[in-house]
Amino acid sequence: MSYGMTGWPKAMSSFAVRVPVVVALLMIAISTAVSLRALSRLEETQQRNLQLLSAAYLDGLSASLIPSVEREDVWEVFDTLDRSRERYKGLNVRWATVTNAENRTIASSAPNDFPPLDTMPAGTLALFSGSSDTQLDETKAEARMMRPLIYQDREIGRIYAIADISALMQERSDILRELIITNIVLTVLLVAFGSFSMRHMLKPVATLSSYLARSGEGNLTTIPDSAVMEQSREFRDLFERYNEMTRALGEREALAAELAEEEKLASVGRLASGMAHEINNPLGGMFNALDSLKRYGTREEVRTTSIRLLEQGLSGIRDLVRSTLTTYRTGQRPRDLTATDLDDLRLLVKPEARQRKLRLQWQVYLEGPVHVPAVPVRDAILNLLLNACHVSREGGSVGLRAHVRDGRFEAEINDEGDGLAAHMREYLERKGAGAAPLDRRSGLGLWIVKRHCDELQARLEVVQSGKSGTVLRFVIPLMEEAGRAA
Amino acid sequence: MDLLVLRRRPGLSRRALLALAACFCPFPAVNAARADEPLRFGLTPVFLTNDIELLSKLKTYLSRQTGREVHLVQRRTYEEITTLLLSGQLTAAWICGYPLVQYQEQLALVAVPLWNGQPLYSSYLIVPAGRAASGIDDLKGDLHAFSDPNSNSGYLVTAALLAERKLKPEDFFQQTIFTYGHRNVVRAVASGLARSGSVDGYVWEVMASLEPGLTSGTRVIRKSELLGFPPVASLASQNRDISVELIRHALLAMKDDPDGREVLGMLRLDGFAEEPPSLFDPIAGKMRLVRSLTQ
Repeated sequence: MSYGMTGWPKAMSSFAVRVPVVVALLMIAISTAVSLRALSRLEETQQRNLQLLSAAYLDGLSASLIPSVEREDVWEVFDTLDRSRERYKGLNVRWATVTNAENRTIASSAPNDFPPLDTMPAGTLALFSGSSDTQLDETKAEARMMRPLIYQDREIGRIYAIADISALMQERSDILRELIITNIVLTVLLVAFGSFSMRHMLKPVATLSSYLARSGEGNLTTIPDSAVMEQSREFRDLFERYNEMTRALGEREALAAELAEEEKLASVGRLASGMAHEINNPLGGMFNALDSLKRYGTREEVRTTSIRLLEQGLSGIRDLVRSTLTTYRTGQRPRDLTATDLDDLRLLVKPEARQRKLRLQWQVYLEGPVHVPAVPVRDAILNLLLNACHVSREGGSVGLRAHVRDGRFEAEINDEGDGLAAHMREYLERKGAGAAPLDRRSGLGLWIVKRHCDELQARLEVVQSGKSGTVLRFVIPLMEEAGRAA
Repeated sequence: MDLLVLRRRPGLSRRALLALAACFCPFPAVNAARADEPLRFGLTPVFLTNDIELLSKLKTYLSRQTGREVHLVQRRTYEEITTLLLSGQLTAAWICGYPLVQYQEQLALVAVPLWNGQPLYSSYLIVPAGRAASGIDDLKGDLHAFSDPNSNSGYLVTAALLAERKLKPEDFFQQTIFTYGHRNVVRAVASGLARSGSVDGYVWEVMASLEPGLTSGTRVIRKSELLGFPPVASLASQNRDISVELIRHALLAMKDDPDGREVLGMLRLDGFAEEPPSLFDPIAGKMRLVRSLTQ
C-alpha cells in the first residue's frame, strides 16, 4: 500500500473518505469503551444483587431450618427446602442440601442425588471450600452458597446450595449483543451521514478543482456568477478570488503575448541587423572586387580573382538568404527535419557568437530526414542556442549535438554560462509550463521553447547545470507514419 | 324425630331450632346459656390441603346451617386435635378412625363421610413411579414416609401389615419419617426423598384428579381392604348435646344444600351419614394387632 505525504494511504487521501473513516474509528473506540463500562457495571450490579439475594436466601433458610436440623427432621428440612424453591424463584436454585454437623445429609431438594443419611461426597464438598458464603463460577454458570447453621454457639449443620446463573450471563450476553448491533447501526449511520456531509461540503472544492485543472491545460475560465452565488459565504469568497486571479492571469497572458510580439519584432530587428552585417562584410569585398574589375578588368588574374571574390561574396549572401527563408518561411506543409536544417542554424547563430567571441561546435549525426516537424523544432533549438550564446562568457563555446536514439530525436545544447537558476530549471522541466512566460525579466525565448515543447509533446531535460556551464537536452519522440500522414 | 324434622327442614331458623331443642332439654336455662357459645369444629390433615376457600365455605355453611358462630380449629397433628377434643375444647372434630378406636370409651360418632357412596376407604402403599416393587416385602430397608402416628391409613394399616409378619416399622425400614399430611407423603415419595410411603387412598385418588403431575411420580403397589372412613366425632358425653346435634344436622343435610354440595364437591365426597361404631371394628383389630407386638 502506498502512502501520501499526510501518512494516509493514497486510497484514503480524500477528505470524503477520510472523515467517515475517522468517524467510524472514533465510534468504534467510543462504543467499545462505553460497552465495556456498561457491561462492567452490569456485572457488578448482577453480582451485588446475587450476593444480596443469596444472603437473603441463606438467612431465610437458616432461620427456618435450625429447629428441624437440631431434631434432624428429614421431612421438615425437605419441606422447608422444597417450599423455599418457589419463594426464591429469582435465585434459580439448582439444588440445596442440608447436612448435620458430621456432613451427613439430612435432606436435599434433590434427594435422588443426595439421599438422606448419606455422607456428602468429598468432590461436592470441595466445591464449597471458599471463604465467603457465595462464590461465583462463570465457567459452570453457577453460584455456590454455603452457610453453617449455628445454634447456641454450636455448629449443628450446614446448608449447601448451587444456583444457576446462566440467566444472568445470558442477560449479559444479550446486552452485549444489543450494544454491538446498536453501535454498528449507529456507526454505519454516522459514517453514511459523515460521507454525505463531506461530499456535500467538498462539492465547491471539486468545482474549484475542476476549474483549476482546466487552467493547468491552458484553458483558463472564470466560474459563472450563478455558480458563485450558490455557495456559502466562505466558498463564495474563494470563488470570487479565483475569478479575480483568472482575470489577472488572462491580462498577464495578453501582456505576455504583446511582449512576445515585441520580442519577435526585436528579434526580426536583430536578425535584420545581423543579416545586414553579414551581407555588409562581403559587400565591402565585392565592391572592392568590382572596383578592381573596373580598373584592372583587362588583366586576366585580376578579373579571375575579382570574379571569384564576387562569387564567394554572393554565395555567402545567397546561403544566408536561403537559410533565413527556410527558417522563417510560413504556410509551408510540415516537413521532416534534416541535418541541413541544423547546419543552417549555425549561420543564424553566428552573428551572435561572433559578437561575444564564442566558438561554435556542431555535432550533427543525422542520416536522412528525421520524422519530426522541422520548422518548430528548428525554432526551438535556435532559441535555445541564442539563449546559450547570450548566457555564455565571452570567449567560451556553445555547442549543438544532435542524434536519433530509441525512437526519439535528441538535441543537446551546451553553453559555458553560470548554470540555471533553480526557478528557471523548474520552469524548463515542468510539463505544461508553456501556458505562461517565466517572468518579465527572463525574456520570452524560453517561453517560446516551452510553447513548442507543449505543442510537440516534447520535453526539456537539464542534463547538467553548474559553474562550468549548462547542458540542456531537447527530446521529441519520432512521429509514426500514420501520425504524419494525418 | 327432631333429626327427621331437621333433615326435612335444613333451612330451619336458629330461633326455631333453639325453641325445639328446649322442649327436650331437662335444664332449659343452662342449655339456653350455652346456646350463645360458638361451635368449635376441629379439623385434622385428613383434608387434602388447608385450602382457604374450602375452609371459608365450610365455615360459612356450618354457621348458616347451625345458626351459631363456628370456629374451625386446625392443628398439625391428629394427636393435638384428639387431645383438644378429649379435653372438651372442641364441640366436634373430623378425626381418623384410629384415634376413634383408641379412645372408643370417651369418643362417639357424629357422622361419617360417604365416598363413592360408601363410608369406606383404604390405605395405599406407594413407591416412586419408576421403582420396581410389588409388595411390602420389597420395601425392606427403605426410608418410609408415614403420614401421622395416629393415622389409620397413614400408619396403622402398614404397621399392622408388618405386625402380621411379626415386624415393627422401625426394624423393617431403615428410617421412617412422619410428614403430617397425606399430600406430603405423596410429595416425599414423588420427589425421591422417601423410597416408599403409606397414604390415605381417598386422598391419593382425589389428588390423582386434581394434581396428576404429583401423583404420577408415584405408583400404588398395595391397596388395603376397605375400612371405615375418617369420621366426625365428639365426646361421648356430649354426643347428644344441642351443639353436637347442630353440627350433626348440618353435616347430614350438607348434600341437600347448594352451599353444602359445593363444599362436598370440593372434598370430592357424596355426603355424610350416621353409621354404627362397628364400622371401625376392623381398625380396632389392627390396633390390637400392632399393640400385641409392642407389649
